[in-house]
Amino acid sequence: MTAHDALSALLGDRFTTAQAHRAAHAQSETHVTGGLPDAVAYPETTAEVADLMRICAAHRLPVIGWGAGTSLEGHALALHGGVTVDFTRMDRVLDIRAEDMLVRVQPGITREALNRDLRATGLFFPVDPGANASLGGMAATRASGTTAVRYGTMRDAVLGLEVVLADGTVIRTGSAAPKSAAGYDLTALFVGSEGTLGLITELTLRLHGQPEAVSAAVCGFATMAQTVDCVIETIQSGLPMARIEFLDPAAVAACNAYSGQTLAETPLLLVEFHGTPASVAEQAARFGEIAQSHGSTGFRWAEQPEDRSALWKMRHAAYPACLAARPGATAIVTDVCVPISQLAQAVEETRADIAASGIPGPILGHVGDGNFHAILLIDPHSPEDRATAKALAARMATRALRLGGTVTGEHGIGIGKLGYMAQEHGAAWPVMGALKTALDPLNLLNPGKLVPPHDA
Amino acid sequence: MTHTEPSAGVQAAIDGLAARFGSRLSRAEAVRAQHGAVESWLPQALPDAVLFLQSTEEVAEAVALCHRHGAPVIPFGAGSSIEGQVLAPRGGISFDLSGMDKVLAVNAEDMDCNVQCGVIHQNLNEHLRATGLFFPVDLGAHATLGGMASTRASGTTTVRYGSMRELVLGLTVVMPDGQVIRTGGRARKSAAGYDLTHLFVGAEGTLGIITEVTLRLFGRPEASRSILCAFEDLPSATTCVVAALQSGLGLNRIELADTLQMQAINAHGGVALPERPTLWVELTGSAPAVAHDAALFVELAQGSGALHVEAADNHEAANRLWRLRHNALYATRALRPGIKGISTDVCVPISRLPDCIAEIRAEIDKTDLIAPLIGHAGDGNFHLVLMFDPDDAQETAVARQINARLIAIALAMGGTATGEHGVGLGKMGYMQAEHGAALDVMRQIKRALDPSGIMNPGKIFTL
Repeated sequence: MTAHDALSALLGDRFTTAQAHRAAHAQSETHVTGGLPDAVAYPETTAEVADLMRICAAHRLPVIGWGAGTSLEGHALALHGGVTVDFTRMDRVLDIRAEDMLVRVQPGITREALNRDLRATGLFFPVDPGANASLGGMAATRASGTTAVRYGTMRDAVLGLEVVLADGTVIRTGSAAPKSAAGYDLTALFVGSEGTLGLITELTLRLHGQPEAVSAAVCGFATMAQTVDCVIETIQSGLPMARIEFLDPAAVAACNAYSGQTLAETPLLLVEFHGTPASVAEQAARFGEIAQSHGSTGFRWAEQPEDRSALWKMRHAAYPACLAARPGATAIVTDVCVPISQLAQAVEETRADIAASGIPGPILGHVGDGNFHAILLIDPHSPEDRATAKALAARMATRALRLGGTVTGEHGIGIGKLGYMAQEHGAAWPVMGALKTALDPLNLLNPGKLVPPHDA
Repeated sequence: MTHTEPSAGVQAAIDGLAARFGSRLSRAEAVRAQHGAVESWLPQALPDAVLFLQSTEEVAEAVALCHRHGAPVIPFGAGSSIEGQVLAPRGGISFDLSGMDKVLAVNAEDMDCNVQCGVIHQNLNEHLRATGLFFPVDLGAHATLGGMASTRASGTTTVRYGSMRELVLGLTVVMPDGQVIRTGGRARKSAAGYDLTHLFVGAEGTLGIITEVTLRLFGRPEASRSILCAFEDLPSATTCVVAALQSGLGLNRIELADTLQMQAINAHGGVALPERPTLWVELTGSAPAVAHDAALFVELAQGSGALHVEAADNHEAANRLWRLRHNALYATRALRPGIKGISTDVCVPISRLPDCIAEIRAEIDKTDLIAPLIGHAGDGNFHLVLMFDPDDAQETAVARQINARLIAIALAMGGTATGEHGVGLGKMGYMQAEHGAALDVMRQIKRALDPSGIMNPGKIFTL
């Protein structure tokens, strides 16, 4: 039987080679392009994924996991053809264990849908990358976002996984216990492996209590150094910020234009506190004092839910706002992350570099984590623009590594950052290659991503 | 396990290491015995030699030499692990890394530090005192940070700060062929490829030797408040724990003792606490937050049916409360003088904690075994100290059977055989039941990274 026949027999019309389905899974939200799968599969159960994997292994067909298609580095593109496994039909909450503050979900559920399902429990899932990504995809790329400063990243949020391996074996990693010292941390190995070691078919996630009270504030600073010093002091004093976000003047201008705000176009911090009404009030007051001692201007509290949601809506709309700042533009989004003591220098050098390049590039970031993004706005039809932006991005990556950081804080490697892996990891990169070869000897799982190329 | 003469490969490695490191390679019986025996179920298993090393470069050189000769390498920190992680059942060379005890860098602004693997966690905190920062993993033993990373250790403050899993940012590792790699880094987060850091954390030295550890640090909390409360029964106590966790209180510690443990504490400490399941709680944070959280906790405790609530009003009173907790092991040992006891270490989802304890207690009650319980209730992790005489075959068999039964109960509840002590040799037999097909993935990883099988062989799983 051909692979096509076997997969059709397995999945019926949920296996398709129709051009429209293939093309829909050959797109990414960013400049990264390339690769068309030979077919798309829409499994509904782990058993179907395992059977599919066995069939593809027998026919040496690449298998690429697909969640919501929101990844930014071309993670889910089918560079070598094969079958793209679209998990959108595996989107159920399997088990909510409120007392243990855990939930078991299928990989295709999006984080917004999960939080809707959790609403009545008093619990929530905190990792918030902005995009309405699938949980499986978020785990596969070790995603984080605005709340990582308080609640951690997917690395911290995932307690256990069910994974279909390259030969179709189904394994479970981790447990439902809050901690374990029982052997290798396979959960952490699959989180961030970008579908190159196995297909995540189920996740056990850690939840948190919905905060009783929330407050938010916005304030500006004259310089980047003052902004970062304010953040460092806030973290050192142990104030439990739920979010602390930075926008540079260009990003503020873009957001003002897009969201109808009138914020001063200076380096800007947006902060949010979660807790009891008393603790939130106290934290807010202390943050206000710290900000003032670092010369903050235009300090404004958003105590009403509608003011707060306007602020965060603006922040979450920052990406389209930046895109709108240059009509017709496409973006190359960078993602470096540095030790926070190096952040002011990293941002200042980057801003000067962008300014000299002639390409608009607003900067925003998760300043509590030392992670920031430049949205490099290029004319998609201009090879010069693209070359300039790529050179800028490459210099940012090198700069981040020189300052003790990483080329990607939260977006992952995909295709876009593969070229920096040797520089970032040195002798540890081939160790990743050895793990890949051990677990996927036929190189069928998302080939061409993350590890050293076979011919290298 | 008896092991008398070194194999030819080990002998060749010993000759090469002696030529290179001189008297820092020891074959003395006493030194070997000190590196080949632990307090556990396990018989001693001596290495053929012990090598005392000072730097990553030396470790790399020595590992490369052992690799050439196929000689087993067993990393040794403070020797405080309790599942036989440092034993040498196949002989080989014990690498004593306790001399690698330098704090290499403290970055106060970034709240991280880089230390050599032999630094004792208490000494790191001594070193940090002037900075206002501290490293939070708090376990009783004088353990090295390299060893704690290797066993994925945790302790009483894990409910707040996490275990070594959450606190290690990066590592320097000497691979089984002597190559040195850096994993992770100083950025707070990274999505750059496989998380090698967390592959080595908890690998118990079977994939490579951790020689440097980059750790997260925290600001010392401004205020703290300690509370002790006793409950009618275990379900009431755990109901209170769940409520406190869900309310997001600033819990720094939340520890549980059962009735038998409280009887032992009263007898040993000359106090008259209620002999009922008891929680010790420490709340930390800013002064107003702690005051608020303490009041709320007392409300929650009373709502869960607390019989007795004692809040420490000052530092001294708090110390008095916690001393009772810290001396629990000595109180337990006083129940049966001359017997040291062996600790179980299962960890379950918190909602299952009362059932798990009740089920094993029912089994213990059918025997003559004395086994008080103390635990990290906020993590669902508890220890029964099984007080048996290791020279008495029948008592030993009963204790082993209780341990095995407890692990089976915990696994059936979705838990783990070991919350914080690790696998070593002692828990190897339970790994197939816990991990199923995933254990083969661990074996594949081991074979891929250590094809000659020299790194701490025979631990965690058999190949």
